[in-house]
Amino acid sequence: MLWKDEYELGVPVIDAQHKELFRRVESFLQVLRSKDRWEDKIPQINETLEFMKRYVVEHFRDEEEYQKSINYPGYKYHKQIHDDMVQYVQEVSKQYEQSSDNEDLMQQFGGRLLAWLINHVAAEDQLIADYAKKKGMSGNDR
Amino acid sequence: MIDKLYKTFVDATHNVFKLMLNISDISDHPADDFKSDETVDIAIGIVGDLKGEVIYRFPVSTSLNMVNIMSGMQFEEVDVFVTSAISEIANIISGNVLTALSEDMKCDILPPEQYKRGEEDKDYEIKTSSCISTTIGEICLEIGLNRAS
Repeated sequence: MLWKDEYELGVPVIDAQHKELFRRVESFLQVLRSKDRWEDKIPQINETLEFMKRYVVEHFRDEEEYQKSINYPGYKYHKQIHDDMVQYVQEVSKQYEQSSDNEDLMQQFGGRLLAWLINHVAAEDQLIADYAKKKGMSGNDR
Repeated sequence: MIDKLYKTFVDATHNVFKLMLNISDISDHPADDFKSDETVDIAIGIVGDLKGEVIYRFPVSTSLNMVNIMSGMQFEEVDVFVTSAISEIANIISGNVLTALSEDMKCDILPPEQYKRGEEDKDYEIKTSSCISTTIGEICLEIGLNRAS
């Protein structure tokens, strides 16, 4: 299982969204890496890509709102990381629509997404929880 | 400068392995001891006050172990997915290094690229390398940088 309890920030809305992201990415990877023919995987790949385009934006927006509400000093830097990821997902999605042979593109996307998501939630997002905890606002005891 | 760069890269690798892979047992030693026939070599270009590149040499077994831990799946060969995940890790380590050094210098990193061995050695003013040992294998870092004129 991709999700680990130590990733929890102690902010219920954000934690629920993170769990959903991990669940979707995990199921995307299972399809992507299965031995099935690429043609058979396409419907679920398309569905995940559409979900990512929509949900990532929604989740990042909610997370940024939370950061603003606690005056998180790393807001600007964190937002830039979010914006860069949204741009990457949109670029990949565009290339995917335009390309006829796109399995390699999706494998490349899957590998980067996996490492990016784990680092972002296990490292970058934990800094928000550490700050909130220090200020006595929220966050889990870690 | 060389000592500080070396230490910052080792520390950043340590942190990334701890947070992303839950591996804390890490030590560094001279790169001369690094022996691996097959590696996934990822180059990260650096521009700004310093200009050059860092080459991360991940042995195949280390690469597969890293991706297996992250994904909870079983990868048996290096393919586009594995190379992409490993490239992102090299990108993350390099980004963390430049953030840690940002009070001393302003630099940016370029997107990771697969490095082809056999290319002509470039001449760098600052050149250092390190081998990092972990419980899932070794990694070699080759750092080559020039000060911007």
